[in-house]
Amino acid sequence: MPEPAPERRKSERRASGDRTRGQRAADHAAIDRLAGDLLPALVAKLGASGLGEIEVREGPWKVRLRGPGHGPNLGRRASDRASRAQPGHAGHGHAPGALEGHRPARPANVAVAGAPHSTNGSGPVTPSPATGTLADAGDAGRRHDDADSRRTVATSPAVGIFRPRKETPSGARVRSGDALGIVDVLGIPQEVVAPTDGVVGATLVEAGEAVEYGQELVVIELVSAPAAGSAAGGGSGPASG
Amino acid sequence: MFRKILIANRGEIALRVLRACRELGVDAVVAYSEADRDSLPVQLADEAICIGPSDAKRSYLSAPAIISAAIITGCDAIHPGYGFLSEDEGFAEVVRAHDLTFIGPPPQVLDRFGSKEGTRRLLANHGLPTIPGSRGLLRDDMHALEEAERIGYPILIKPSAGGGGKGMRMVRSPRELESAIKVCRSEAKAAFGDDSLYLEKWLEDNRHVEVQVAVDRYGQGVHLGERDCSVQRRHQKIVEEAPTPAMSPAARAALCETAIKAVVAAGYENIGTLEFLVDRDGNAFFIEINCRIQVEHPVTEVLTGIDMVVTQIRIAAGEPLGFTQADVEFRGHAIEFRINAEDPANDFRPAAGRIERYLVPGGPGIRMDSHVYAGYEVPPFYDSLLGKLIVWGPDRPTAIARARGALDELVIDGIVTNVPIHQALLTSEPFLEGRITTSMLDRVGSAAFLAAASRA
Repeated sequence: MPEPAPERRKSERRASGDRTRGQRAADHAAIDRLAGDLLPALVAKLGASGLGEIEVREGPWKVRLRGPGHGPNLGRRASDRASRAQPGHAGHGHAPGALEGHRPARPANVAVAGAPHSTNGSGPVTPSPATGTLADAGDAGRRHDDADSRRTVATSPAVGIFRPRKETPSGARVRSGDALGIVDVLGIPQEVVAPTDGVVGATLVEAGEAVEYGQELVVIELVSAPAAGSAAGGGSGPASG
Repeated sequence: MFRKILIANRGEIALRVLRACRELGVDAVVAYSEADRDSLPVQLADEAICIGPSDAKRSYLSAPAIISAAIITGCDAIHPGYGFLSEDEGFAEVVRAHDLTFIGPPPQVLDRFGSKEGTRRLLANHGLPTIPGSRGLLRDDMHALEEAERIGYPILIKPSAGGGGKGMRMVRSPRELESAIKVCRSEAKAAFGDDSLYLEKWLEDNRHVEVQVAVDRYGQGVHLGERDCSVQRRHQKIVEEAPTPAMSPAARAALCETAIKAVVAAGYENIGTLEFLVDRDGNAFFIEINCRIQVEHPVTEVLTGIDMVVTQIRIAAGEPLGFTQADVEFRGHAIEFRINAEDPANDFRPAAGRIERYLVPGGPGIRMDSHVYAGYEVPPFYDSLLGKLIVWGPDRPTAIARARGALDELVIDGIVTNVPIHQALLTSEPFLEGRITTSMLDRVGSAAFLAAASRA
C-alpha cells in the first residue's frame, strides 16, 4: 500500500535542513571550482587517455567522468514521460562526459545518482565503490544546486493522477512538508509535499495529468537564497546570480 | 487479443515478455523501479513508467503502484513475469476488479491452485502420486513438531507462497526444525509478503523433474514435455535440461500424460509447471504447481519450437490453444545455464557493480536471454540472475559440447559470475552421466566441486 506521508515529510526535512548556509556556500564554491577549473582539464585528459572513466577526489567531493561509448546509446530513451520526469537523468551514464558530483560518507548502501540535478546536493552520499550510481530521488524533492540554488522541485510520491492543491497556488509561501497537492493512486490520495521552505513557483504538470513516481511536479523558489548568497560572500557564485 | 500490456517485472523476463508483445503486435509498457532506470527493457520499451523506489515492496511488489501505472498508461492487461506478484492470487483478484486482465490463470483458478499445500491434496484426488507432507499450514512450532514427527525426518520446510528456494530449509531433527522455522518465516515474509509454511518429506538423492502444461479456457490441454532441474544449490535451480536423463522415454511419457490429465480434470487454466521429485527407483512424487512462466521456459521452447510466453498471453486473452498433443514434437536435447552475479568461490555471495565488457556466444543451437550490456550497473536490490544461456543439440553429448564452447566464449567482465561452476559441471562425471541429484552440489560444496574440476 502507499507509504505513509509522515515518514516522507521527515526525510524531506532532513534532506533540506541539515546544511548550514556556510556549508552550502562552501559546497557551491567547490562545485564552481570543479566545474570551472578541474572539469575542462579532466575532459581533455579523458579524451587523450583513451580511458573509459576517470575519477578525481577533492575534499569531500568526487568527480567521475565517463567517456562516450561506455554504456549503451540506443537512441530511443524509454518513454517521453520518463524522460520528462527526470530532466537530470537523460544524460546520466551515457552522455559524453556525464558529470557525477558526489559527497562521501552516508552509511547507506544507496549511492545517490551522479547527475547534478538529483538529490545529492542536499545530503551526504556514499562514494559506494562497487555499485556506483543509483538514484533514489523519489521521496525528497530535487534541488537544482549548481544550476539554480534558489529552486527545488517537489516530486511525485507515487504513480497516479496529479491534483494540485488550490490553497497553495503559485506565489504562496510554504514550509517544508506542506502539502502542495496529491497524486491519486486508485482513489487513495498521496500527498505531494514541499521539500523545503519557500514560495510556490511553476507547476510543471497539468491538473488531472498522469504522473510517474519521482516525476517533478511543483517548483519551490527559496526565498532566503539572496540573503544566503551575500552573507556567504558570494560563495555560491554564478548559481545565485 | 489485448491492446496494451503492462510488464510488471524487471531483468531478463521483462525483456522476454517485451519480445513476445512485439511478436504479437501488442503495445507494451515496462514498469520499473528507480534502480532499473538504465536497464535494457526500459531502454528498449516503446513506453516505460517509473512505479517506485528501488525497494521492491514499494515498486515491483506494490499492487497499487502497478495497477495505477497500468490504468494511467491505458493498458488492459498486466504481465507479472515470475517472482514478485506472479503467484499472488490477491493481486490477480485486484487486477480483475480494475477491469484489467492478469496474464496467468484467472483468479478463481489461482485461488484453487495458489496454496501449495492445498494443491497437493487437490491433485492427489485427481490421481497424482504426492509426497507425504503436513496436513494444512503450520500454525505454530508445536504443530510443526507434531507434523514432522508424524511424517518422519528429514523434512523440508516450504513456504506456501512463491518459490526460488527462499524460505526453504531441510532439517534432520526437531531442534533444527525449531530454529529453521523462524528463518523460513522471515524469508518468506520478505520475499512473498506471506509467511505461511508447510512441511514435506525430504527424499534423499532425489531428482527434480517438472512437467510443462498448457490448458486453454475451453479445457483443451497439452503437455510440453518435462525438464530436469536437479542441478541445484540450496534449492535454487542453476541448470535445467530436457529430456531428463533420469527416466526412460516410456516413464517420461507416462509422467507427462498423468500430469496433463490431472490438471485438466482439476480445472487448471493457462500455462503451468508441475514439479515432481523422482526417487532413486524412478518413482515420481508431485510436490507443487507453478502457475506462471518459469525461468527455465526456454528449454521447452527450443525443444518444441513453441513460444511459451506468447502461448501464455494468448490463453489469458481467451484464445483457444490452437494445437493438440499430436502437434507437439520434441527435437533433440536442450540445456539452460543460469548466469548469476554471484561468486562460486565465495559461498555464492551475490555481487553488484558495473559490467565492463560483455560478449554473447553464438553459433548453432545457442540462445542467450539477458538484460545486461557493457556499462550496465547491476543493482544490489534484486536477485542475481544476469541471464540464461540456452544450448540446443540434436543429442545430449552435442548439446554439452556446444555448451562448453559457448561458456568459454561468454565474456562478462567487471562482476563475478557463476560461470566457473557451470564449466566445472560440464567436466564432472555425475553430470555427464546424468546422475546429478538435487543435494549433490551442497553436499560436495561448491569450492570442492570447483577444485575437483580444475584437477580433472
